[in-house]
Amino acid sequence: MTMSTIGELLNQFDMIASNPKAQLEKYIAGGKQAIGCFPYYVPEELVRAADMVPFGVWGAEGTINSAKKYFAPFYCTIAQMGLELALNGKLDKLSGVIMPSICDTLRPLTQNFRSAIPQLPFIFLAHPQNRRAPYGVEYTKSQYGSVKQKLEAIAGKAITDSALKDAIRVYNESRAARRKFVKLAGQHPESVSPIHRSAVLKSAYFMDKAEHTALLTELNSQLEALPKSDWKGSKILLSGILADSKNLLQILADHNMAVVADDVAQQSRAFRLDVPEADDPMTALALQFAGQDYDVLLYDPELNKRPEHVVNLTRENGAQGVVILMMQFCDPEEMEYPSLKQALDKADIPSVSIGFDQQMRDFGQARTQLQAFADVLSSKR
Amino acid sequence: MSARTTMGIDIGSTASKCIILRETPNDGRENGREIVSKALIPFGAGTSGPVRVIDQALADCDYRKEDMAYILATGYGRNSVEAANFEMSELSCHACGAYFLFPGVRTVIDIGGQDVKVLRIGKGGALDTFVMNEKCAAGTGRFLEVMARVLEVKLEDMARLSAQSTERVNISSTCTVFAESEVISQLARNKNKRDIINGIHRSVAGRVAGLARRVGVEKDVVMTGGVAQNSGVLLALENELQTDIETSPLSQYVGALGAALLAFRKLGSLEA
Ligand code: SF4
Repeated sequence: MTMSTIGELLNQFDMIASNPKAQLEKYIAGGKQAIGCFPYYVPEELVRAADMVPFGVWGAEGTINSAKKYFAPFYCTIAQMGLELALNGKLDKLSGVIMPSICDTLRPLTQNFRSAIPQLPFIFLAHPQNRRAPYGVEYTKSQYGSVKQKLEAIAGKAITDSALKDAIRVYNESRAARRKFVKLAGQHPESVSPIHRSAVLKSAYFMDKAEHTALLTELNSQLEALPKSDWKGSKILLSGILADSKNLLQILADHNMAVVADDVAQQSRAFRLDVPEADDPMTALALQFAGQDYDVLLYDPELNKRPEHVVNLTRENGAQGVVILMMQFCDPEEMEYPSLKQALDKADIPSVSIGFDQQMRDFGQARTQLQAFADVLSSKR
Repeated sequence: MSARTTMGIDIGSTASKCIILRETPNDGRENGREIVSKALIPFGAGTSGPVRVIDQALADCDYRKEDMAYILATGYGRNSVEAANFEMSELSCHACGAYFLFPGVRTVIDIGGQDVKVLRIGKGGALDTFVMNEKCAAGTGRFLEVMARVLEVKLEDMARLSAQSTERVNISSTCTVFAESEVISQLARNKNKRDIINGIHRSVAGRVAGLARRVGVEKDVVMTGGVAQNSGVLLALENELQTDIETSPLSQYVGALGAALLAFRKLGSLEA
């Protein structure tokens, strides 16, 4: 068998990331059931252990029409597009959905979704904000237990401990491969464009994780074999909920900005932490959530941990600046912004905040700001 | 060798501006350049404005387009200027142009047709940080145009009328659409237009000041863009920010001026 080139592999990831419908149909045609996993922190291992395919539903680029009936305009597009997809029949082939309720937008979404799409088996998931104390871990475990039961009913089979342990292993391997890729992509920006970087990470949401890891391992080993890069452009860190807009990412590429690290919910934040070793796999899953941190969505008694984390990530990865993709109408992100900006200013790290949503059609203002930001970064080099 | 010339073109959303610069004998100033021609056409991106503004700037001096050593385009419509050798973001151009006119500038507040930008200028005139309004016409030139129409006054008369205000009327909404109905209801209550205009100016100032505080306001503060011509907004903004604000008769040309200056810098790096 001949090895694919880096370019061929990246294009393959891009094809998958751009065609979730084809992916879903492929799994269904192969006799699999698929479960829609909404953001954030869905224990996908349970879905895999039930021999079903977890399928990420993080909204989609498009226009909101039918869902308008259910939402005031000031709801983020992730929530609105999630329902729009369902109302337009795009989620019909799923055997169920798991919907967390961790922010004030997702909570009403869960209830609107339930009443608008009664035919789709619905699994509600309430993560506890006090996640670390033993009672918090217990609570997460009981929530995951009820998710497990409902998945078993849909799959028509029990989820065994050994199947779950195996799923955890597959997922930890996937997380490790994705973390490694993020590092390598940052070290070889001339080979991995911002769009390709996003495609590799996004495709994981539409693929069986073992398949994704196999393909990614091949890519990683080829990237590792490349000579050291001599990147002349600037290096940035991306912060936000989503960073998958090709239009926006192309602007970064046009102005020679390489993404060397991210703290994006759909990207690194989703695979930062492995599921720890524990005899009981359900406890292990709950402990993973207990260990999550540095997130605008998660209760942080110290208030400033994510801003500090972003500063550290920026420094550790040699990024010269931070591009904050601020999801329109995302309260958690907007409320955190002043402390994030303050932390970056204090650390003398230039940053720019770009308003973004999945209905965005005009990128002129974003281009103006990013182009000027590239000038700022190059004048500081 | 005859002095080299460059052209800066700023294609905004509502107007096109052009500046032609010539090198002057080195008089010890860092920016040994002089403006030989300038033009403004009140039509912006996607109209005949860009072509006309270049023609007019050339018609007003002894140069031809071929004489330009470098042409740099900026502004919302910068990508569609065929004559340009290069394009740059208007944020970088505004920083450069403002620094040329006001070497002590640290903060630039630019209110254009559909954008508000606030820039912080670092040492040597380099752009340090900036913020722009988002997707909303509140606080922009467009907002003032809509209000002038509702009030049946000319845009250029607003400053004069506002100065004659005797009673405080608050326009509380910062949304153009809601503010429009607020103005209509104030008119229905027989409030004086002069007082309403004054309230509109304070509403714009409040909105812009909020944005300015995000980058931090440091002296000297300079206001640029078409709205800088409106002394009513300028005054309201001075009050709101509690600082003097300078402006220039060239306020609308600052982007084009910066582009023409950066064109010289590009020439320098090409020759280096
Ligand atoms: S965290 Fe923000 S982007 Fe995500 S669902 Fe909640 S409001 Fe929307």
